Amino acid sequence: MDLTACAGAEAGKFLPRILRQRRYCGPVSGISERDQIARAAAGDRTAQTALVNRHMPVVWRVAFRMLRDRQEAEDVTQETFLRAWKMLPDWEERAKFSTWACTVAINLCRDRLKKKKPVLMDELPEQIDISLRPEQALSQKQASAHITALVDRLPERQKEALTLSAFEGLGNIEAAEVMGISVEALESLLARGRRKLRLELAADSDA
Amino acid sequence: MKDERLYDLIAAYGAEPMAWPEDERDAAMVHLKAHPDRFAVALDEARALDLAFEREALPDVPAGLAERILEAAPAAHSALAGWAGRLREMVFPNGLRWPAGATAAALVMGVSAGIFSAPATADDGYQTAEEEVVYAALGYDGFEAYIQEVDE
Repeated sequence: MDLTACAGAEAGKFLPRILRQRRYCGPVSGISERDQIARAAAGDRTAQTALVNRHMPVVWRVAFRMLRDRQEAEDVTQETFLRAWKMLPDWEERAKFSTWACTVAINLCRDRLKKKKPVLMDELPEQIDISLRPEQALSQKQASAHITALVDRLPERQKEALTLSAFEGLGNIEAAEVMGISVEALESLLARGRRKLRLELAADSDA
Repeated sequence: MKDERLYDLIAAYGAEPMAWPEDERDAAMVHLKAHPDRFAVALDEARALDLAFEREALPDVPAGLAERILEAAPAAHSALAGWAGRLREMVFPNGLRWPAGATAAALVMGVSAGIFSAPATADDGYQTAEEEVVYAALGYDGFEAYIQEVDE
């Protein structure tokens, strides 16, 4: 199926973020991921560079969204690839590299968040206190900060689900695998997260 | 595809059909096309949130991060440089690993043992018909006569 054509037919006016991400994540060369990993493991710098260029930005964005700290996101990204370099010689085709890398990154982020905040994230209150003044005419930057603040205040698992699915465009099966949950559980988290955000945005508009 | 499932898809994945699960997308789009009014409100609400997500701005990936990651990447083995390395790449494109490595090692050892332990010829100590022809052409009555003359 032609993704761009479908997007044009359905969305029409713009190319959504999710399609930009999926276009970016698509195949970038003629060689298979298995061959690329084998070459990278053998020290082929071209294959290593291709792996990094293809997957590092996604890993960094996931880490940054989870941690909201550039340095920590960089540390998580570097640690993820350090583990990858060690893993590659014994790589088994149980998972796509992107799934494996996102899983490692998410787990590293969870560890860091636990150390920062020893509170179960899913137990955080559902009510969101919006600090931005809704009557304010939001500039593009303010609008960006606003939605970021709303997403940041979601319970951790809902934020993870939205980060992987809505922002990074991972398929439902892959996103569920990264989070270690079922597709049904993923959909539940996504629906709850989106509903909460929608209500907050609607409240802003009404105020 | 039932109404309930399409509502679930919109609620979880938003208004953009390309975000819906691939295995349900076509059926969902057919159902949506058949009943556009039924899902208009849900789609509008979901689209507003999709557009809000579009406004999210992220900082760029830190400059030099890719280079720092690559500095820690494994280097190619220098011993494999040159023609031997290229030959190994051709024979074992995915690396010399068990059991391929063990098989190759056993093959080399077997061939080596065969070469060094086997007699020079299949009938060592006996003159073959071919040798008889050669010595006759040289004017000797076989190998013994040739050795005798050489020793003298």
